[in-house]
Amino acid sequence: MPKIEVNERLFFQLAGRTWEDALELEQSLTTAKAELDEWDRSQPDDGTRTMKIELNDTNRPDLWTTAGLARHLRTYAAGKVPVYPFFASPRKQLEAHRTVRVERSVREVRPWLSGFIARGPAITDPVLRDMIQSQEKLAWNFGRKRKAVSIGIYRTSLIEWPVRYHGVDPATTSFVPLQETRTMTLEQILEEHPKGIEYASILKGRPIHPLLSDAKGRVLSYPPIINSADLGAVQVGDSEVFIEVTGTDYPSVALAASIMACDLYDMGYSIENVRVEYEYDTPFGSTVVFPYYFQGLASTTLEDIARLLGTPLDLDAVLTALTRMGVCAYTENGSVIQAAPPEYRNDFLHSVDLVEDVMIGHGLQAFEPARPSAFTIGRLSPIEHYSRKVKNILVGLGYQEMIYNYLGSGRDFAEKMQIPTSSLVKIANPMTENYEYVRNSPLPALLNTESVSGKASYPHRTFEIGKVALKDPEANYGVVTRQYLGMLISHAAADYNEIASHVAALLYFLGKEYVVRASEDPRFVPGRQVEVLVDGERRGIFGEVHPAVLEAFGITMPCAAGEFDIEAMM
Amino acid sequence: MIDVTTVRALHPLEIRILLAYGPGDIIDGQKVRQDLGFREGQENQAFSWLAAKGLLEEAGRNIELAYELTALGKEWHEKGTPEARIMAILAEQGPLSLPDLAQALGFDQKTVGSAFGALAREGVCAMNDEKKASLRDARLPARVQALAALLSKAASMGGMLPEAVLDQDELAIMHTVAKKRGAQDAPFRIAERTRVSYRVTQQAAEWQEAVRSLGMTGEELGAITPEMLEKGSWKHGQFRPYNVQVPPARVIPGRRNPYVEFLESVKDKLVSLGFEEFDGNLVETEFWNSDALFMPQFHSARDIHDVYYLEEPTHAKVIEEPYLSRVAAAHEHGGMTGSRGWGYSFDRDFTRRLILRSQGTVLSARQLPKAHIPGKYFGIVRCFRYDRVDATHLSDFYQTEGIVLGEDVNLRTLLGFLEMFATEVAGAKEVKYVPGYFPFTEPSIEVHIRHPVLGWFELGGSGIFRPEVTRSLGVEVPVAAWGIGIDRMALMALGLNDLRELFSSDLESVRLRRSQFKLQ
Repeated sequence: MPKIEVNERLFFQLAGRTWEDALELEQSLTTAKAELDEWDRSQPDDGTRTMKIELNDTNRPDLWTTAGLARHLRTYAAGKVPVYPFFASPRKQLEAHRTVRVERSVREVRPWLSGFIARGPAITDPVLRDMIQSQEKLAWNFGRKRKAVSIGIYRTSLIEWPVRYHGVDPATTSFVPLQETRTMTLEQILEEHPKGIEYASILKGRPIHPLLSDAKGRVLSYPPIINSADLGAVQVGDSEVFIEVTGTDYPSVALAASIMACDLYDMGYSIENVRVEYEYDTPFGSTVVFPYYFQGLASTTLEDIARLLGTPLDLDAVLTALTRMGVCAYTENGSVIQAAPPEYRNDFLHSVDLVEDVMIGHGLQAFEPARPSAFTIGRLSPIEHYSRKVKNILVGLGYQEMIYNYLGSGRDFAEKMQIPTSSLVKIANPMTENYEYVRNSPLPALLNTESVSGKASYPHRTFEIGKVALKDPEANYGVVTRQYLGMLISHAAADYNEIASHVAALLYFLGKEYVVRASEDPRFVPGRQVEVLVDGERRGIFGEVHPAVLEAFGITMPCAAGEFDIEAMM
Repeated sequence: MIDVTTVRALHPLEIRILLAYGPGDIIDGQKVRQDLGFREGQENQAFSWLAAKGLLEEAGRNIELAYELTALGKEWHEKGTPEARIMAILAEQGPLSLPDLAQALGFDQKTVGSAFGALAREGVCAMNDEKKASLRDARLPARVQALAALLSKAASMGGMLPEAVLDQDELAIMHTVAKKRGAQDAPFRIAERTRVSYRVTQQAAEWQEAVRSLGMTGEELGAITPEMLEKGSWKHGQFRPYNVQVPPARVIPGRRNPYVEFLESVKDKLVSLGFEEFDGNLVETEFWNSDALFMPQFHSARDIHDVYYLEEPTHAKVIEEPYLSRVAAAHEHGGMTGSRGWGYSFDRDFTRRLILRSQGTVLSARQLPKAHIPGKYFGIVRCFRYDRVDATHLSDFYQTEGIVLGEDVNLRTLLGFLEMFATEVAGAKEVKYVPGYFPFTEPSIEVHIRHPVLGWFELGGSGIFRPEVTRSLGVEVPVAAWGIGIDRMALMALGLNDLRELFSSDLESVRLRRSQFKLQ
C-alpha cells in the first residue's frame, strides 16, 4: 500500500481548509481509505512541514498524490464535482499544437503513450517534490514497477517538436543518462546504471528498445529506464513542463496522464493538450489528443443499492452521495443510475463499486448495525475435535503441550534428523535459510526445545499437535497436509519402555487396537523403534531417539519420542 | 498472648525441650541427648527452631576436642589390635617368621614390623635363633589393654570420645594413636567441635504453660502409616499439627499450551455464534490463494517478495473446473459476473503455481462451492508471509477468517457481525467502522475497537465478497467475509509483548506461562 509524504501547507491550501487536530484529520481521511501515519507538529510551521499518509485503496491511484487526496476531501466536503475543461473524449475533439509520433517499431515492446504540457507559476520546491513523488508512486504501485506505466517529466523549452517515440537497437544507440556524464549504450545502461540494473528485467532480451527523442534527434529518455541528462531534467523555477507516460496497459497509461494533469491544474497550471499520432490503430483511435477521457459510464440501480447496503436510499440521497465522491450521476427512468467516473478514476468494474461510493458518500455512520436472523449450527471441524481428545489424554499422562512454527532450516529439519532434505517441501524464494523448509514432522521442534531447555527441571514430557506437509507425487499439488502428533520424553532414564507405555495408554483411550512392527528409521536407535499399525496401516512410529540426532541438537539427556498421523487414525 | 495455632504447630522435639527445662536453665546438645534421648542432630534442629521463636538464647560456645573412631579403629575394636592378635597367634601356633605372621593375620609387613617392634621393646616378644618371633610373656602389656579399653569406650559412645570424658592415663594413650590428618592408618581421628550452649529465656515460661494446658506431650502422632491404620493405633494418640505455612514443593504437571488454549477459546466462541470450522492445505495454488479472490495476477501484493513459492513441485496438475474457466473469464472481461473484469490476459500456467497459503481467505474461497445457504464458516489457520521475523512479524502465523452466506447478508448485517465479534470475542466497549479496501470485497469495512486494556486498535477487516468472486464459484447470494486479528489479544492475555514468544521453544517459560484471558 502506498505511503506518501505531503507538504502540509500545500495540502491544506489545495483542500481549501486546515485541520488543527490530528484526530479530526484522521476522521476526514477515512472517506479516502487513508490513514495519517506521521504528523510531527513540533516542527516549525515554516512551509516545509510534512505529514505521511498511507493510502489503502490500491485501485485509486488518484488519491496517492497531494493534490488528488486534497481534491477528494474538498469535493467530499463541498458536495460539488470539480470541472476539468482540458479533456478530449470520443465526443469532444480538441486541437493540439504539439505532437508526439509513435512509430510502429515500439508496438511489440511498449506500445502506448500519453502526454500533456503544463504551464504556469514557477515550480516551487514542494510542488517539484510532489510531482516527483506522484511520478514514482504511480509508476511503482499502479504501473507495476514501471512495467505497465512509467512517467517522464521534461522542460518544454529545451525540446524541438514533434517528439518521436520509436524503437532502436540497444547495442548501437547511446546517450548520456541522468546521474552520469558519459555516453552509454542502452545495453550498457541496463548493465551498469543503477536504474538500468533495477528495471533491466522489463526490457532484457528484447531486440528493439523504446526511445523518446526530439525533432533534432536528441534523446529525451529511454522509457521506462531513465531520462537523458540533457533534456530530461526538471528543476525548481521551471514554469513549463512536458509530461509523458508510456507503458503496456493503455487505460493505465491514459489514466496516469489524466491524474497528473488534474493535479497540476488544481495547483494553478494550465494544461495544454498533446496530440499523439500512432502508426497503428489503438482502441482510442490512431490519433489521440491527451489528456483523454476514455472511461465509460458505470451503472447501478436503487434496488441493488438497497439490497447491498441493507437500507433503501432515495434517488436524491444516492445522487448527493455520489457527488461527494466526485461522481456525476443521473437517471433516465428513476431507478437505473448512470454514473460518469471522474476523469482521474477508472475503478468502477462492477455496480458494487458504485454502491460502495454511495455508502461512503452517504456516510458509513448512517448505517445501523443489524443482527442477522438466519439460524445456523456451529461446529468444530472433526480433526479439531479429535485433536482435543488426544491432547486431553496426553496432558493426563503428564505431557506439556507446545506449539511451534512450521517453517525452519534444512539443518534442523533434515540434517540434524539424519534424513535427506529432498523429503521436505522447500521454498524457492526463502528470505533466509532459517525459514527455508516446511516441516514434515513435529519432532525437530520438540528436540529443539530439549536443546534449549537443559536447565528446566526433569523429567521433560512434551507434545505438539499440528500440521506437517508431506510430499506425495500422486496428489494434485504433489504435497499433502496432515495433522500430526509429536511426543517426546527426556530424562536420565527415558527409554523405549516408557514411551511404549504412554503410547499404549494413548491408543487404549482412543479405542485403537494396534500392533507394532520393527522399523528402521535413522532418527531412532536400531532395534529400539517400532512402527505402529492400526488396522494394518502404518499410523506412527516411536522409539529411543538416536544419539547421533541428540548430538546434532546438542542434547546430553536421553530422549524417546514418537509421531503419529492422527488425521489418519481419526 | 500466644496464638494457640502456633503452639499447636510446635514440633515434638521442641515440646519435649520446653517441658523439660525452665527459664534460666543452660542446656547443650550433650545434655539434651542424655536427658531426653535425642538422636544426634535432632537437638540442633530443635535448638534452631526454639531460638528462632526467641525461647532459647545462646549462652556460650567453646571449641572441644574429640576423638573419632576411624574405620581402622572400628576394625581393631572388632578383631583386636595388631599387637593383641600377634600375641594371640604366637600363643596358639608357637614361633613364626614375620612374613608368616603377616600372612596369617592379613597384615602388611609394616604393620607387623612396628607392632612386633613395640612388643619386643616391652620384652613381651623376642626373635629366636631361627629368626622367628616368639612369645616370652603371655600377659598383654598394660598399654595394649588400655588401648583396647579406649576402643570399646569409643564404640559404646557412638564412635566419638569428647576430650572431657577421658582421664589423664587415657589421654596419654590417645595421644600416641590419634592423628589429625591422614588418619586412615590410625584408629582415632582428632576432631574439633564447636559446642554451643543455650539459656532458656523468660518467654519460654508462657509457652511451657500453653503447651501444658493444651496437653501436648511431644509424643503426638506424625505421618499416618498403613500400620497405624491396620492396628488402629491412631485411636490412642493425638495428631501432631503440621506447619501449614511452609511453602509446598513444586510439581510439574502435564498441561495445555496457553496460546493454543487461547486459540481454542476463540474457536469455541465462534462455534457458539453458529459458525462451522473449516480447515485446509498449507500448500495452495495461486488460483485459490489469489485468482479466485479476484486479485489481478499483476497485483502488487502478489509479488515474489510477498508470497513463498515452492521449489519442487512447482505447479498443481489441474485446477478444478468449471471454476478455473469462470475465474479466468471474470479476470479477463467479467465473464458471467456482471463485471467488466481487469482487462488483461489471464495466465493459466501461473494460476497453477504452488505457494504456501498467504491468507486464510483461501479457505473461505474453497468453502464457497460447497457451502450451505444460509451458512456461517470460520477457520483459524496457519498462513505464511515473506517477512523478516521480529517482535511484530512472523513468517508463519495464525489468521482468523470466516464467511457468512445468506439472502439477508448486506452492509448492515455485516456491521452487526462485526459488532458481535467486537463485543463477544474481543470484549470491546466501543466499536468504530471505517471504509476499508480489500481486493476481494466491495464494500469493505475496517472495524476498530476500544479494548479495555489495549485501547483503540484495528480488530479486523471485512466486506461483502465481490460478485466476481462469489458468482465464479457458484454462489448467487451475498457473502460477507471477515478476518479478525487476535494475536494482540493473545499477547495481552499471556502477558507477552513479542509475537515470537507465542511459539516459544523454551520449556520452562512455557511451563510457567499463565493465561489471563476471559472471553465474555
